Amino acid sequence: MSNLEIYQQAFKETFMVDEEKLADLKYQDIPEWDSVGHMALMAALEENFQIELDIDDIIEFSSYEYGKEILQKYKVDVD
Amino acid sequence: MKLASLSVELLAGSSLHEIEAQTLPPYSEEAIRFLAEVSSRLLKSPNIREYPDIAGFGYWCRRANLSKLALAFDKNYARLGRGLAFHIAPANVPVNFAFSFAFGLLAGNANIVRLSSTNHPQATVILRAMQELLELEKHARIRHMTSFVRYPRDDKITNTLSEISDARIIWGGDATVNRIRMMKTKARCVDVCFADRYSVSLLRADAICDAGAESFTRLIVGFYNDVFLLDQNACSSPHLVLWQGDKERICSAKYRFWRGLEELLDTKSPEPGIHSLDKFTHLCRTAIWLQPINQNRSQSGRIYRVELEQLPVGIENFRGQHGFFFETTDNDLQKLSTILNTRYQTLTYYGLDPQIITRLVVDNDLQGLDRVVPVGMALDISIVWDGYDLITTLSRVIQTV
Repeated sequence: MSNLEIYQQAFKETFMVDEEKLADLKYQDIPEWDSVGHMALMAALEENFQIELDIDDIIEFSSYEYGKEILQKYKVDVD
Repeated sequence: MKLASLSVELLAGSSLHEIEAQTLPPYSEEAIRFLAEVSSRLLKSPNIREYPDIAGFGYWCRRANLSKLALAFDKNYARLGRGLAFHIAPANVPVNFAFSFAFGLLAGNANIVRLSSTNHPQATVILRAMQELLELEKHARIRHMTSFVRYPRDDKITNTLSEISDARIIWGGDATVNRIRMMKTKARCVDVCFADRYSVSLLRADAICDAGAESFTRLIVGFYNDVFLLDQNACSSPHLVLWQGDKERICSAKYRFWRGLEELLDTKSPEPGIHSLDKFTHLCRTAIWLQPINQNRSQSGRIYRVELEQLPVGIENFRGQHGFFFETTDNDLQKLSTILNTRYQTLTYYGLDPQIITRLVVDNDLQGLDRVVPVGMALDISIVWDGYDLITTLSRVIQTV
């Protein structure tokens, strides 16, 4: 799987959301992406990419798009 | 009494007589791998929406966090677990047993965990995830070191398990601790006791008045989580709110804060009638005992506040539940200094530098407070808890010179 597919899978599995909805998706846009959903998403990304996210990045991770930028810091190239 | 004959309900893991008191070093790969898989399973479960405390546990025991803790662990000495750790989990915090188990396992111990008789649904969910993983061959070692049991209060059983333990982790308050401490143990058995604790909150009026909408919402949600997720029953939930600032600002801040909290509570399911009654009864009691300057019941009755001019020593003995708070102003922290004793565990703060509190405690040799954390983090249990550094305490040193 490509990094993009792995990234998308984390969102799709955590939030039960379709791929079309991902591009504009932001924290609290949908009921599933509340603080509990956020914890689950962060854990899924860490597990799937074998990284440890910094607490500041976890707090800043506010959207699907911005998340890709954050992962760059961990040498994970999603695009 | 033979272990095989003990009448306990096995909830997960090996039965008592099959348990092997083999140890591992702290933060072993076997332990981390097992807990990380538990984490993954729990966070993917549909139950986390309904039970955020399960999500909290799952999030804490994910590999990324455990690796971070392992890295920070002092490696001055070679260590192993102490042997067999016997945990007596509390009735008031449903996921506590899982954290206790994790601490024991990460320290390198085999673990017998006795859950309380209160059948929390969170326990069922977590135990199911654990059992499914324990049955796998790759976790055989952990399975042989793990037993989750339940039995109605039976001192004979607790006695027997105490006699074979190398460490006992006793939750549940002073009465439980005292009763269990009297039981015979091995000479070198280490007891980690979690007695009755009490917590407070310190809020700066200026910060609350001036907070933007987003910060304010975070504050209210944080305070709600600290208090109402466990109905103010957790020892880390604040029962006393201390305010700092001038009179007018405190007045505005209180209005904004308590109204914000009430609005949030209105969106949650209503509380049982008996809770309202309990709070009202307690309000009457405190009126007689403490002569408050003001008493306040919020419109919905979810929040009861009793304002005191002075804080009597022993105020913690008057703690209420389900949303009952004492309040006072304490700009110079004199009142806090007067009442602090070993029962005081957590101080949550908003709008001030926590180092002020740390210095207050250390410089004045005050006998209380193990944690000073921002509002919202009161219930964040971890490996340093109640003044114990748990992985260190629950493991032993092999010193080589």
